[in-house]
Amino acid sequence: MPIQNPFQDPLRFERRVPECAVVIFGANGDLTRRKLIPALYRLAYDRRLAAGFAIVGISRTPMTDDAFREKMLEAVKQFSEDTTFDADVWSGFAQGLFYVAGDIADPALYESLGRKLAQIEASQHTGGNVLFYLSTQPSQYAQAAQGLGAAGLGKGNGRRRLVVEKPFGHDLESARELSGRLHESFDESEVYRIDHYLGKETVQNILAFRFGNGIFEPLWNRRYVNNVQITGAESIGVEGRGAYYQEAGALDDMIQNHLLQVMATIAMEPSASFRASSVRDERSKLLRSIRPMTPDEVRRNTVPGQYGPARIGGQDVPGFRQEQGVDPQSQTNTYAAVTLFVDNWRWAGVPFYLRTGKRLAKRVTEIAIQFNPAPLHIFDQDGLDSAPNLLIVRIQPEEGISLKFLSKRPGSGMTLRPVSMDFNYGSSFGERSPSAYETLLLDAIIGDATLYTRQDMVEASWSVVEPIQNVWRETTFDYPNYESGTWGPAASDEMLARCGHAWRKP
Amino acid sequence: MGATVAPGKILKDLAELWVSTAKAADGGAGVLRACSMTLLVLAEASEDSQGLGETIAALMPEHPARAIVVRMSGPGERSLTERVYSQCWMPFGQRKQICCEQVEITVSDAALADLPSVVLPLAVPDLPLILWCRSPRLAAMPEFLPIAAMAQKVIVDSGTMADPAAALNLLAVLSARGVLLGDLSWTRLTRWREMLAQVFENQQYLAQLGKTSDVKLERGEAFAVSALYMTAWLTGCLADSGVHASCSLGPAPEGVSVRVQLAGEGLAVELARSEDRMVVTVNGVSQCTNLSQPTDYLLMREELGIVRRDPVFERALTRAASLALPVETK
Repeated sequence: MPIQNPFQDPLRFERRVPECAVVIFGANGDLTRRKLIPALYRLAYDRRLAAGFAIVGISRTPMTDDAFREKMLEAVKQFSEDTTFDADVWSGFAQGLFYVAGDIADPALYESLGRKLAQIEASQHTGGNVLFYLSTQPSQYAQAAQGLGAAGLGKGNGRRRLVVEKPFGHDLESARELSGRLHESFDESEVYRIDHYLGKETVQNILAFRFGNGIFEPLWNRRYVNNVQITGAESIGVEGRGAYYQEAGALDDMIQNHLLQVMATIAMEPSASFRASSVRDERSKLLRSIRPMTPDEVRRNTVPGQYGPARIGGQDVPGFRQEQGVDPQSQTNTYAAVTLFVDNWRWAGVPFYLRTGKRLAKRVTEIAIQFNPAPLHIFDQDGLDSAPNLLIVRIQPEEGISLKFLSKRPGSGMTLRPVSMDFNYGSSFGERSPSAYETLLLDAIIGDATLYTRQDMVEASWSVVEPIQNVWRETTFDYPNYESGTWGPAASDEMLARCGHAWRKP
Repeated sequence: MGATVAPGKILKDLAELWVSTAKAADGGAGVLRACSMTLLVLAEASEDSQGLGETIAALMPEHPARAIVVRMSGPGERSLTERVYSQCWMPFGQRKQICCEQVEITVSDAALADLPSVVLPLAVPDLPLILWCRSPRLAAMPEFLPIAAMAQKVIVDSGTMADPAAALNLLAVLSARGVLLGDLSWTRLTRWREMLAQVFENQQYLAQLGKTSDVKLERGEAFAVSALYMTAWLTGCLADSGVHASCSLGPAPEGVSVRVQLAGEGLAVELARSEDRMVVTVNGVSQCTNLSQPTDYLLMREELGIVRRDPVFERALTRAASLALPVETK
């Protein structure tokens, strides 16, 4: 009997994808309709899913399989941004769509699910592999995991994995508690904490850029890097999610997870291999090396903000406190800027500036690495010759990498001007880039956890953020402190100015 | 018509082209020059130049290259002429144009022997030179080997050649000499092979593979060489697993381009392709997927992405070449 698939051709084929059933808790929710089902449909369209594939949607609303299929059909048509709808592909995909109604707190739900999975295993040949995806309220994560465990669904004929959406707790203690409860039913190796930023092509490309090329790594340290700025800016407000956002805030919603993960990717040590455990070990080590702040340092090195009303493009936009469902005296931060230092030999003394916010001047996520200026200014004109070299990694929009350097202006004089050498991911590789959810769902089905967050990484991130939370919670801020459509509070510029730096205007 | 082409003049023309393209760019945003290889395309002058131009243009965003298109004008007096131009595109939402440069050389058969001395100086330094030979007759000409010797990889389409069996044998000889090769008749099978491999990712089916007793391949008229490759690959893979099934090759029904069936105790697998659909049926459960027709663009896109040894292809080529002679001489 062959023990290995003799037909594989790794040079030409896409990655091997095992047969699998994906069980989505919260199948009636926005994430399922907008992201998960369109991503899975796209994978089917691209022939990336195994023949033995099925999806089981779970939510409280009673619904037949057919009604669920209809609903998901609408979702695919509405939210598949760059995928042509193909009736035949849909027809095959829809045959594998099933639905189970029930309350996450009710043991009967898991009994029904168990029966459904057994049927699916027999009819769809899924080999007993199941990926449970928790797309519910965070407060239900532990309950769902325990329900699965108690019904014996955490183990089965095939591989069982659990995908958890952020937030992973709301502080260090709650993150530990959540992990502990998930581990009652699933081993840590079976838990996939999803951070969709890590699924973006450019974030993955950071690894290729740093560790696939020999010329950058020698410069990637405190001798040559002056400071690093990581920006995750949104131009929109809370868009009807005021009530939810009020509980989270920019610090918890963006910095604790997305931006710290991006920072870990840009600053980590080279891993010994590209195996998931090696890469995640290095990310985790970096996060643990970030210096936790004392309360005094928090006051000096962090800036919270909240947007006020403004007129943008001829249109009046409300301030955060005027948004629907938001307390008019809310102290929630919609902007957060922090200065972090990494206590290791590579980065000692180099400030990492992280900022994120809503209703900023434009939507952009990027990393700007500013190098030290040339040690001697021999072309001393207007200070232009001392403009620093910048390496910019754009994550969205227009994923790509730019290097800014000085060049002689054509002509007889020795005048310098900055020029940009651009690599645009979309135009240099004309192929459509998969969405972050396509990448991450496929990784979870295959069992590649490289781009997923591990428990120790979550805890390390909270260890960085929690001292800031503590100080901010006990302080009453004079909000709003920035106008919508600007680059945030003046205090944030002052924070950098104190170190002789200035935020880049992306 | 001139009888000589000066590579130095072409390079100067290319440099001037970049200056004029940058000046002509809207709003002074400039252009970006991208290059990852030299792509040498050998085509008959009679071939639809617009279609070929569109294929090359489509390849450029993913495989930016200095494209040197050699158009073979056939018999007649010795002649060589050239022109240079750029191929630019504006990425969505961007201000800057991305441009690649192209050189077109027209050459008569009598001047083919001069081609290496013109092309070598035009190749972009430090980047691979890929030869795409679209001319079926060139592969049989003595000038082919010196031209192929310049390239890191040679891509042909044996299915278009007058004598596919001889073509497969020539390729097998070149491969044995260590030349990196691509054959679009093989590339056409990638998605096929992938779908078949995907079926056996299922451990239950993989366990049944050892009981395969019959392999049946049916192919449409245009897929003779591809079917040989498929047979060679399939039987090779099965033999590696210790499976020795009887194998038959025959014509496909109307509308079906290729159909593969594997049958044995507890296992019935069928892959059938028609138009832009692939239907995979395993033990009665069918799945239909979108599988667009492999245009030259799609095939070349794949081949240009592989500039290294391809052991699976090399093995299938050797086997297909050995299968080809008896089949074609029947």
